Amino acid sequence: MVDQQSTLIAIAMIASVVYLTRLSGYFIGLQLRHIAGIRPVLEALPGCAFMAILAPAVRRGNISEVLAMACVVLIMWRTNNVVLATGTGMAVLLFGGPWLNIN
Amino acid sequence: MSIYQSLLLGIRSSADYFISTFMFGVMFGIAATSAGISHWYALLMSATAFTASGQFAALEFWQSPLPYGTIALSVALVSSRNILLGMAMTHHFDGHSLKRRITWLFMLNDPGVVTTYRLEKNVDRLGYVTGYGISMMVSWLSSTWLGLSVAGVFATLDLGSIDFAGPLVIATMMMLFIKGSKTRSTPWMVSGIVALILFELGTENYLILLVSVAAGVIAAVVQERYLRG
Repeated sequence: MVDQQSTLIAIAMIASVVYLTRLSGYFIGLQLRHIAGIRPVLEALPGCAFMAILAPAVRRGNISEVLAMACVVLIMWRTNNVVLATGTGMAVLLFGGPWLNIN
Repeated sequence: MSIYQSLLLGIRSSADYFISTFMFGVMFGIAATSAGISHWYALLMSATAFTASGQFAALEFWQSPLPYGTIALSVALVSSRNILLGMAMTHHFDGHSLKRRITWLFMLNDPGVVTTYRLEKNVDRLGYVTGYGISMMVSWLSSTWLGLSVAGVFATLDLGSIDFAGPLVIATMMMLFIKGSKTRSTPWMVSGIVALILFELGTENYLILLVSVAAGVIAAVVQERYLRG
């Protein structure tokens, strides 16, 4: 069991680290913004970060996870409806998993 | 549009991700209870850190004595995409005092940033992202509380199958980015390919993120130089 003081220290540390990541990116960007042609490079960054997370996740995924991802991409492509896409993906994971994943 | 009108627009636009954030908050509440964190401290963590991935990463190491260094490093690595989100907003938060930008950056959040790409030019981006963040915070806190309250009911259930919910939500944001952003596709395609190659080579997760984003940046710079002649 973790004591109260350690818990509070850890929470303060986690909050500080996360806030610093939020601040530092913006201020790094401010230092770079004078470089000609930097804006499209900076604005491409979220897409690069998402792909760096998604590509390995899909590669290591099982059949139901890959199918859930395909459903999400397809629904988002056609409708832009986040709730429908996520809900469908979750339904495939929860209910399709036992049927699709052959161990 | 004024900053406060933009803030309200951010709140109004956030309904979709309010729901998915709520789902993760419930899961965090359940996981925090399993890790032995009391209700008030779990809520305090959600209110001050306001990061799903970072808080889940911290729980992995939640045992006495707490390994502060490991927790800090782990949280920093999974939160490193905030650095990229902040950099992407560099040109969008102009026209505000430094104090306001520093304060309001606390609310920086993935879906808020991604959906700014689709906004009209007259919308104040800082106000919009902050409004979006306020809504996410309400969802995150109320769902953490709900998760903590119902943790006993779900203690025996296997939630393993919904581990993949995180990548699914990121995929929705990626699709919004692709459809809304005016940036070219080469950088993120290069990032994805490099990430796959590194994964096949058995590289650590944090290195995959670091190297593949760096590859995407290099691709963007090369492409920009080529297009500018």
